[in-house]
Amino acid sequence: MKPFRKVLIANRGEIAVRVIRACREMGLPTVAVYSEADRAGLHVRQADEAYLLGPAPSRESYLRIDRVLDVAKSSGADAIHPGYGFMAENPAFAAACEQAGVAFIGPRSETIALMGEKTSARRAATEAGLPVVPGTLQPVRGAEEIRREAERIGFPLMLKAAAGGGGKGLRLVKAAAELEGAADRARSEARNAFGDDSLYLEKAITRARHIEIQVLADHHGDAVHLFERECSIQRRHQKIIEESPSPFVTAELRERMGGLAVALVKKIGYRNAGTLEFLVDEARNPYFLEMNTRIQVEHPVTEMVTGEDLVKLQIRIAQGEPLPFRQEALSQRGHAIECRVYAEDPDRGFLPSPGRIVALRVPGGPGIRDDSGIYEGYEVGVQYDSLLSKLVAYGFNRQDAILRMRRALEEYRILGIKTTLPFLDRVLHHPSFEAGDFDTSFVEKVFAESDRDRERPWDVAVAAAAIRAYCDHLQARVTGEVPASMASGWRRQDWRHPEGRF
Amino acid sequence: MLFDATVDGHAIRVEVRGRDGRYVVTLDGRDLEVDHQETGAHFVSLLIGGKSYEAGLEKRPDGYNVVLAEDVLHVEFRGASRGALAAPRKAAAGPARIVAPMPGRLVRVLVERGQQVEAGAGLVVMEAMKMENELRSPRAGRIAELPVREGQAVETGALLVVVE
Repeated sequence: MKPFRKVLIANRGEIAVRVIRACREMGLPTVAVYSEADRAGLHVRQADEAYLLGPAPSRESYLRIDRVLDVAKSSGADAIHPGYGFMAENPAFAAACEQAGVAFIGPRSETIALMGEKTSARRAATEAGLPVVPGTLQPVRGAEEIRREAERIGFPLMLKAAAGGGGKGLRLVKAAAELEGAADRARSEARNAFGDDSLYLEKAITRARHIEIQVLADHHGDAVHLFERECSIQRRHQKIIEESPSPFVTAELRERMGGLAVALVKKIGYRNAGTLEFLVDEARNPYFLEMNTRIQVEHPVTEMVTGEDLVKLQIRIAQGEPLPFRQEALSQRGHAIECRVYAEDPDRGFLPSPGRIVALRVPGGPGIRDDSGIYEGYEVGVQYDSLLSKLVAYGFNRQDAILRMRRALEEYRILGIKTTLPFLDRVLHHPSFEAGDFDTSFVEKVFAESDRDRERPWDVAVAAAAIRAYCDHLQARVTGEVPASMASGWRRQDWRHPEGRF
Repeated sequence: MLFDATVDGHAIRVEVRGRDGRYVVTLDGRDLEVDHQETGAHFVSLLIGGKSYEAGLEKRPDGYNVVLAEDVLHVEFRGASRGALAAPRKAAAGPARIVAPMPGRLVRVLVERGQQVEAGAGLVVMEAMKMENELRSPRAGRIAELPVREGQAVETGALLVVVE
C-alpha cells in the first residue's frame, strides 16, 4: 500500500468539487483541470492547483487524454479521479493512466471495456447467474438490422446507445411506425455523445422500477454491497430524485439483489466503486440492466444511510488498502432523499436554461447536504451538463426525510435562470410520491397531468411584482430629475451612499 | 397606481397604494394589506395577513418573474397609468414564430417550406447541453418561413420556423 502524493480531478462541476472536498479532508493536495469556458468554475477555485486543458468543447478539453496526462505529469499528481461522465468510463483513458504509471481511481481498463459495452455486460451478467431483460446480445447498426431485431423482440421496446449511459441515445418505441425516426435520433445522439452510433434493443418492462445496488471491491478479492437506491423518479429517462432505502424493496429482495451484485463483481474481478442497475417489475422480479463502473451522481443517499464516505473509500481502495469492513458490519440507518437541481425549465418540457445566476439562497439546518457546483454570479453555460447541485435530506424515516426535503427546497432559491427547484417541491408534495407508489413513468404520466391544473400562487406573485414596479416608478421620478452637477459629468456625493452606490 | 397585468393566463387589474413598506394591493376588487421589506437586491419579504412569503424577483422586459417556493410565475404588465412599463401586447392569434429557446445547434430540420403540419408536429431538433430537443408546432398550419438549415449554430431568439 502506497498513499497518493497528489490527486488530479479530471472533471468539472459539482462532482469535481465533491472529490476535491474528500481529498482535502484526507490531507491530499488536489489538481483541477478546466476548459476555457470554466476558468470561473468552482472546482478551479477550490483546488490547490488548476491547469487549462483547452477550448470549451469537451472533445478539445475534458476528453483529451494526452492533455490530462501531461498535466498529471507536470504537476506531480500520481492519481486521477475521473468523477462521472467525460472519461470516467473510457477504457482507453484508464489504460493510458495505467501505462503512464498514474493510478486511475476506478476499475481496471479491461473491466471498464467489458461493462461499458452493454451487450458484453449482459453476457457477463448472464454467466454470473443474473437475470436480464430480453434483448439483443450484439450491438446493431444498420436500419435494416434494427428493424429485424425489433420485430423479433416485439413492442414496446427501448433503444439504447451500446456505448452509452446517462439517458443519451435512449428512446422508448411504442410501435413499429415510430421505430425509424426514434432510431435516427438515438443514433445521432449516441454518435455525438460517445463517438459510436451502435445501438442495442431491449424489451420495455412496463410499470418498472429503476433500482440500483452500490458495490465496493478492493484489490484483494473482497467485495461488499451498500444496499439499494431507488431511482424511479425520472424525466426524459434521466433520474431526478433518488432515495435509499427504496419504499418498494423488501428485506428478501434487498438481500437477493445485493447477493447478485456481489456475485457479478467477484466473477469479473471488479475493483473500486460501482453500481449495478436493475429494472424491477411489479412482481418484484429484478432484471440486470447495466453496470456503471464509476461513482454515481446519486452516491450521497447511500453515504447518508450507511455513514460511509464513498469517494474517500474509492481513494483508499485505489491506494491498495483492503475494505475496512465486512458485509455484516454494514446497515441502512434512517432514510435519505436526493433532488437534482438542473438548469432546466420544467414548464417547457425541461428545456435547458443557461444564463447567469444573479442571486442564490442556499438551504441549511439539520440533516441537509447541498453538493453544489455553483455560486452567485456564476454563468451556467451551454457546453456541459446542466446539473447545478444535488440537494440531499436525511431523516429518521422516509416521512421525516420527505418533510425535511420539502422545507429545504422551499428555502432554496436560484434567480436568473429556470431550475427544477419548484417542480421538485411539487413532486415531493404529490400523494403518490408520499405513498411511495410510483414507477419510472410517474413524472410523465401521473405527475404532469395533476401539475398542469395546479393552483398557482398568482396573487402573491402579482402583489410582489406590482409593489416592485410601483417602487421602481417612484424611484425613477426621484432620480429622473438629474442634478446639474451630474449632468455636467460631476458626481454628487450622496450622504447616505458615500460610494455613490445604491 | 393602476396596472394591467397578466399572470398565469389571468388578465387582472391591480392597484397599488401606500409607501414606506406598507401597501394596499387591490386585485380584481379584493384588497390585500402587504407589509413589504427588501431582503437583498433581488429578494423581498412579504407579510400578507400575517402570512410570510419570500419572493425572488427577476426583471424582464415586460415585467417580472416571481420566484416563490413552489412555483415561478411570470407577471407581465401591459401598461401602467404613467406609461413607464408599457410594452407591446403579443398577438394571440396569427402566424406562430418558433424561435430558438437557447443557443445550440440544429441537428435536424424535419419539415419543408410549404408543408402542412398538425399541432404538435416536430419541426426541428436542436442540440444544447448535450441533449437533443425536438421543437414542436404550437398550431396546425403551413410552413411559411424556414430560414435555417441543418448543422447551423443558432443564438437564443433566432427565428427558426414560421407556421401560418
